Amino acid sequence: MQWFVIFKKELLENWRNLKWIWVPIVFIIFAVMDPITTYYLPKIMDAVGGMPEGAVVDIPMPNANEAMMMSFGELSLLGVLITVVIAMGTISGEMKSGVYELILSKPVKYTHYVSAKFMSIALMVWVSTALAIIAGWYYVALLFGTIDFTKLLTGILFFSLYFALIVSIVLMVNTWFQTPGLVAFISLLLIIILNVATSIYGHILTWSPALISDYIGAYLSTGTLTDELWYSALMALVFSIVCIQFAIITLKNRALQ
Amino acid sequence: MMISQDLILLLLPVLILQLLLLVIAIVDLIRIEETNGPKWMWALIIIFLNIIGPIIYFIIGRRP
Repeated sequence: MQWFVIFKKELLENWRNLKWIWVPIVFIIFAVMDPITTYYLPKIMDAVGGMPEGAVVDIPMPNANEAMMMSFGELSLLGVLITVVIAMGTISGEMKSGVYELILSKPVKYTHYVSAKFMSIALMVWVSTALAIIAGWYYVALLFGTIDFTKLLTGILFFSLYFALIVSIVLMVNTWFQTPGLVAFISLLLIIILNVATSIYGHILTWSPALISDYIGAYLSTGTLTDELWYSALMALVFSIVCIQFAIITLKNRALQ
Repeated sequence: MMISQDLILLLLPVLILQLLLLVIAIVDLIRIEETNGPKWMWALIIIFLNIIGPIIYFIIGRRP
């Protein structure tokens, strides 16, 4: 019951500061832009001109799956950035402003506090990514070709695990510092390290959560759920739980001091 | 490029979303009591920086 009270308070707050409105809109614009500009690039180049006479611009037109992956790629770049930014002040800001002490002066369990925060942000990000991917799918279907919708939904489910990991990393860093800007910086650093390590040691770290969107791409084109996709999804889940546990432990230790 | 009807129909949803984002940001800017930095500056940013302007405003301009 207590969990729901905190959860509702978080939802209300995110509604009042308009995050529930602008985050989905921005995600949708991100996901939709790339397929559209890719489709119209040759025409834009023609119209703008400036090309020497006889120059042949031959940009290969991506197929439907590749175009769909552009939406996923855009979201795993800019979408992650926005996710980090909207979650950066969720605990650290409350610590700074004193709301944190106000809430925890009541008998609130740290587990409830952190997990309710996680769910409220994750829910918003999940809804936004799902809407964005579906919007991207709509344009891909119009411009490039059809993609099976059930496959896409499966892809969205796996993709949301990656975003769960991002949110829990930011929550974990939230408990370390009280400056939201610093939280965003350190979280981005951790996420970049994860991605760089994955791209360097990709042949060993086949279960890395950073590869989820690549595996979703493979799944969209082949239609088979590979073991690697399951493993990386499992790893994303495990890492998320570990990060949230770390956040709870840090808050408990802080209270003891 | 010929501005064909197809293109307009295709881009209309995106344009509406962009406009919606801009209008929400402006309405919020008018109703909010205080922002980080002068209000007229945020108004310029929101109106002239396409998409990015409202995003920056929502992230750092609003003061809770």
